[in-house]
Amino acid sequence: MSESGPAPVPAHESSATPPEPPEVSPAERDDQQWRRVHPVTPFVRGWAIIVALLFVVTQQSFDAVPYGELVDDVARVWWVFALGVLGVLVLVFGYAALAWRMTTFAVDDDAAHLRKGILFRQQRHARLDRLQAIDVRQPLLARIFGLAELTLEVAGGTDSAVAIGFLRLDDATALRADLLARAAGVKARRAGGVREDAAGTGRPTVPAAEPGSVTADAGPAEETSAGSPPLSGVVEAPENQVYEVPPGRLVASLVRLPAVWISLALLVGLGAAVAVTRNVAILFSLLPALLGVATFLFNRFAGEFGFRAAVSPDGIRLRHGLLETRAQTIPPGRVQAIELTQGLWWRGKDWWRIKVNVAGYGIEGTDGTQSVLLPVGTRQEALTAMWLVLPDLGTPDPAMLVDEGLTGDARTDRTFTTSPRRALILDPLTWRRNGFAVTERALLLRGGRLTRRLTVVPHERTQSLGLQQGPWQRHRGVASFAVHSTPGPISPAVHHLDEPDAARLIAEQAVRARTARAQQTPERWMETVAAVAAAVGPAPAAEPAPAAEPAPAAEPAPAAEPAPEEDPPPTRREDGA
Amino acid sequence: MTSPDPTAAPDPSGPFDPPGIAWDGVSLRLITARLVVLGIMLGVPFVVCAVVAVLVTPWVWLPAGVLAALLVWAVLLVPRQVRAIGYAERDDDLLIRKGILFRQLVVVPYGRMQFVDVEAGPLDRKLGIAKVQLHTAAASTDAVIPGLAPDEAERLRDRLTVRGEARLAGL
Repeated sequence: MSESGPAPVPAHESSATPPEPPEVSPAERDDQQWRRVHPVTPFVRGWAIIVALLFVVTQQSFDAVPYGELVDDVARVWWVFALGVLGVLVLVFGYAALAWRMTTFAVDDDAAHLRKGILFRQQRHARLDRLQAIDVRQPLLARIFGLAELTLEVAGGTDSAVAIGFLRLDDATALRADLLARAAGVKARRAGGVREDAAGTGRPTVPAAEPGSVTADAGPAEETSAGSPPLSGVVEAPENQVYEVPPGRLVASLVRLPAVWISLALLVGLGAAVAVTRNVAILFSLLPALLGVATFLFNRFAGEFGFRAAVSPDGIRLRHGLLETRAQTIPPGRVQAIELTQGLWWRGKDWWRIKVNVAGYGIEGTDGTQSVLLPVGTRQEALTAMWLVLPDLGTPDPAMLVDEGLTGDARTDRTFTTSPRRALILDPLTWRRNGFAVTERALLLRGGRLTRRLTVVPHERTQSLGLQQGPWQRHRGVASFAVHSTPGPISPAVHHLDEPDAARLIAEQAVRARTARAQQTPERWMETVAAVAAAVGPAPAAEPAPAAEPAPAAEPAPAAEPAPEEDPPPTRREDGA
Repeated sequence: MTSPDPTAAPDPSGPFDPPGIAWDGVSLRLITARLVVLGIMLGVPFVVCAVVAVLVTPWVWLPAGVLAALLVWAVLLVPRQVRAIGYAERDDDLLIRKGILFRQLVVVPYGRMQFVDVEAGPLDRKLGIAKVQLHTAAASTDAVIPGLAPDEAERLRDRLTVRGEARLAGL
C-alpha cells in the first residue's frame, strides 16, 4: 500500500542487485525480516501455466482444424512449431522466475506481510488477530518437490487471502506454527521465534544469485535449503486425532448419492436406445452430462480422501486429499455456522455430512472441500465433530436435543418449535420438520424431509437477522426466519414458523446474540483455550463428555493414538510420491 | 394510497411490527425518483411500440397495451411501497422493514456493521434524497434504507458509525 515509491524499480533491478531482500522503504519497520519463497516455486508455477496453456491451445486448434490437415501442417513447419514452444517455455519460466524474485514475505507481531507483482506491485498486510484459518496446500507437482503453499484466510471477501508459496513443507508448517502462536497471543514463544527466523532467512535466498538459471538450480537449491533447520523455534501445538474417514466408507457414501444412480439409469436407457435404433450418435448427446457427474465424483473422492480431523489448542486441524493434499487449521471461534445433512440413501447407515461456514473460505469453498468438516460419518462422529466446534452446546442433554434435530419431527418433539399445521398446504412435505430450538449457546434450525438438515449457529456468530413473509404465508399466518451468516455453503433459515413464534424468535435472538457477543472468546484465543487443551491433552477419552453421552464408546480408539507432531503424515506422503 | 398506515401495517401486532417501536418513514420524494426511473424504462418502449403500431402493423398495440398496464400498475403501487419502508434505531440494533405483499424485516446489530455506504445518483441528488446501506460480514444482509434526506442520511451514518464503534466485535 505504501509501495508506490519502489514500484518502477523491478525491471532493471532484477538482473543486477545481489539477493538481499528488496529495498525496504523508509516507512517499513526494521524488525521485519523479509524472506523469499522457495526457489523451485517458478518451476512449479510455470508448469501449471504451461499445462493450462496446452489445454486451451489443443482444445482450440483441434476444434477448428481437421486432424489430418493439422498433422500435415505440423510436419511441414515443425521447426517453427518447436521454436514457438521454446519461446513459450522461456516466456513462462522467465516470467515465473521474475515473479518469484519480486515475491517476499515477512511476519511480525501483528500481521503477516506479502509483497508481490512485477509491474503492479502489491503489498498486503493480514492482521493476525483477524486470522480466520490457515491452510497448507500441496498440489501434486509441489508434493513431488516436497513443497507447500501456505494460505492465510482473513475475512475480506473474494481473493483476500494471503498465499505464501511455495515453501518447503517443514518451513511451511513451522511458519504456520509461528503464525498461530502469534495470532493466539502467545508472547513468550515469540522472542525465540523471531531470532531464529532471522537466522533462517538468508539461506533460501542464496541461489537467487543467478535468476536466469533458476530451473537448473532446482536440485542443489533444494538441497541447500533442505539442510537448513526449520524456520522458527516455535513448537507446533500438540494435537489429538478425533476421527478419520476410511476410503471404503467414502466410496460407499459416494455410491449412495442419487446422482450416481440417475446417471447409471440414463446410461442403461441410452444403451437400450442405441441397441434398438442402432444409432451410436445418441450416446454422445449425453456424454457431457455423464462427464460432469464423473468429474464431480472424482473431485469429491480425491478431495476428501484420507480425511482426518484433530483437535489442538490452535483449533481444529483437518487433513485430506489424494492428489492435492490440504491441511487446514481453523482456530477456535472461527466457525460461523455448522450444518449436518443426510441424503435419502444415507439413512440406512445413519451417515451424516457436515459443512461449516468459515469467514475466509467464502463462496469458493462451496463446491470444493474446504468447508467440509466431516465428509461422511456416523452419528457418533457427527456429534464429535459438532463438539469440536461447540464444546458446550448449552443444554443439559445435548444428545437428546441433537437426535431430535437430526431425525425428529413435530410428532416427537420436546424441545423444537415447529411450523403450525396451517403451513401444511405451503409445504406439505417438510412442515413437520421445519423448526428451531434455542440453547444457551446456540440456535438450532431444522429442516428437510428427504434430505434431512440441521443447522447450528452459535449465538455470538449471528451477523444479522431477517424475517420474510409472502402473500400466501401471510394468508396462513406464518413467516420465514433467517440468520445471516458469513458467505459460505450454509444459509441458516427456517421456513413457515407461526407468526407469534417468529416474532418472539427474532426479538429474543437479537438479545441473545448481543449478550453472547459481550462474553465471547477473545480474538487471541490462547487465554480461554488453555482450559480445553488441559482437558484434551492428558485424558483424551474424557473429551466428548460435554457433547454427548454415547460418544465415549466410539471415542477411545482414534483418540488413544495421538498425533502430536505435524511431520509423520507428510513424510509418509513424500515417500509415496 | 391515500392512507399509508393501513396498507403498510395492517396487523399492528404482527411479527413485522414489534411492540414499542416507532418507525421512521423515508422521504416521499423517493416516489418521484422511482416513478421517473420506471417511467423511462416502461415509457420509452411504450412510445416505440406505439409508433411502430401506427406506422407498421396494429398488432404491436398488444405489447404497448401490456406496457401501459404495467405503467399504471407501477403508478398505483410505488407510492404504497415507499410508504411501507421504515426504519427504527433501537439501543443496540437497527430495524429495517419493507414490502407490502412480500414483507421483510431485517435486524442489524450495530456491533456487527463493517461499513456504511451513503449513495446518491444524479436523479437522487436532484430530488434531494440519498441511500444508506449497512454492510455486515454476511453478504446476505439486505439492509438498505433508500430515500433519506441527505442531511438525515449523513446524521444516520454518523450515528451508526459511532454506535458501531462503541459495540465493535470481531466476526
